[in-house]
Amino acid sequence: MSGIQEDDDLVFRKIASLIEPLNDKGVKLTRETDMIADLEIDSVSVLDIVMDIEDSYDISIPVNTISEIKTIGELVDAIHDLKKEQS
Amino acid sequence: MSLFDKFKSTAEQYNALVAATERDPFGVSMDEIKGPTRAIVKGKEIVLAGTNNYLGMTFNKDAVDAAKIAIDEAGTGTTGSRFANGTYAAHRKLENDLAEFAGYKYCIVFSTGYQANLGAISALAQPPNDVILIDADCHACIYDGCQLSGAQTVRFRHNDPESLDKRLSRLDENVSGKLVCIEGMYSMFGDVAPVGEFVEVAHRHGAQLLLDEAHSFGVFGDGGRGVCERDGVLADVDFYTGTFSKSLASIGGFVMSNHPELEYLRFSSRPYMFTASPSPANIAAANAALKKIAEDASMRTSLWENANRIHAAFTQLGFELCAETSPVIAVKMANREQAFMAWNFLMDHGVYVNLAIPPGTPNATSILRLSVSAAHTNEDLDAVVGAYTALSEALAS
Ligand SMILES: Cc1ncc(COP(=O)(O)O)c(C=O)c1O
Repeated sequence: MSGIQEDDDLVFRKIASLIEPLNDKGVKLTRETDMIADLEIDSVSVLDIVMDIEDSYDISIPVNTISEIKTIGELVDAIHDLKKEQS
Repeated sequence: MSLFDKFKSTAEQYNALVAATERDPFGVSMDEIKGPTRAIVKGKEIVLAGTNNYLGMTFNKDAVDAAKIAIDEAGTGTTGSRFANGTYAAHRKLENDLAEFAGYKYCIVFSTGYQANLGAISALAQPPNDVILIDADCHACIYDGCQLSGAQTVRFRHNDPESLDKRLSRLDENVSGKLVCIEGMYSMFGDVAPVGEFVEVAHRHGAQLLLDEAHSFGVFGDGGRGVCERDGVLADVDFYTGTFSKSLASIGGFVMSNHPELEYLRFSSRPYMFTASPSPANIAAANAALKKIAEDASMRTSLWENANRIHAAFTQLGFELCAETSPVIAVKMANREQAFMAWNFLMDHGVYVNLAIPPGTPNATSILRLSVSAAHTNEDLDAVVGAYTALSEALAS
């Protein structure tokens, strides 16, 4: 069954909630979930999710960074890094 | 594991969709071209309503004659690049004529519009200190230009100057050059950018603006100079890019600017330096088409009359359209499957439009993209409206 792994990191929870509507295959979302390989979300939709995240946290995540990100955990880490840098 | 594994899931999805219809929407071959708006496909004559032939000049007599003369006088190909051994007087003349027509001081002709954007963006912005900001819906060649440049690239929300404003405000002081990239009219939905607002936001933050008028050159503005002319900000655009492959009915591309530094691209832009220049026939046809655009506004008038007619007819039929009236009229479909079915239905009814599905479309929508041409006759448009009427009935039943 689908669902989101317990995690007290607010960034993880935010991202998982943005991805959940596109999780057609009902994969359990964890930090290890690969957005393109496991969820079959296309690359443009990943960019659009990132845009929502940017506006929630008031940060800019360069396309160059996103193209190296595969898993939800990597995205969470990148956002923590950027929040530190850009605040 | 092989190089081909990565194609598998997309290929399976694609093959399943094609198998469910009779034709491959991305493999249509026009067996015989009857004119700017008609072709024979598999023995049947169809109306072409999915081209970028906005002004309908692919068979313009002056352009055809000029291309023929150019072949006789200068040969079939230049066999060389603009930088090294492929610049003829005709390339220079076209650069001058384009600049004069649009009212810019400098112009560089590239081999395609794709390469013009690739070449301008990759040469202008460099890592690590330059930043490129692009509209989320920009064309692939703008994305590819960013990638080739290697500079940090930030997307902002489509047609949303405030979203750009926020992202420019967030940049730190170490950033040196800032390049904002937008388009005039967007090719998939036919929606138009608020170019004036983007100019204001970009310049307020010390950024420069690159505007791709690929689909709007010859179409918008009193003189056909694009959306920036319509919005009265033509002189404020830092880099104006365009193509010969749409309203100019040829192949090639260009970048125009009032900055003298544009000339530096001639020895720093790899997509300019390392590919063959447009052939004499392409240049001659584009130059003749440009002359016609400059002298004769009647094609533009017909184009907009045709666009208004189709937009009104589709609205009346109850289709969900993606934008206000423009020469691109996109109908939203419920999903991929319905879009494939509808595309096939229109082909059965003798009308060719473009099927566009995610990820090639904004907001993951599936659409039927129709483009209007000045060359469409009333008979062509009757056929189009007839086919869409039948489609709306089929979808309702
Ligand atoms: C917005 C935009 N820019 C550039 C291009 C590329 O033009 P060309 O066909 O000359 O390579 C296109 C066409 O596909 C386009 O839609």
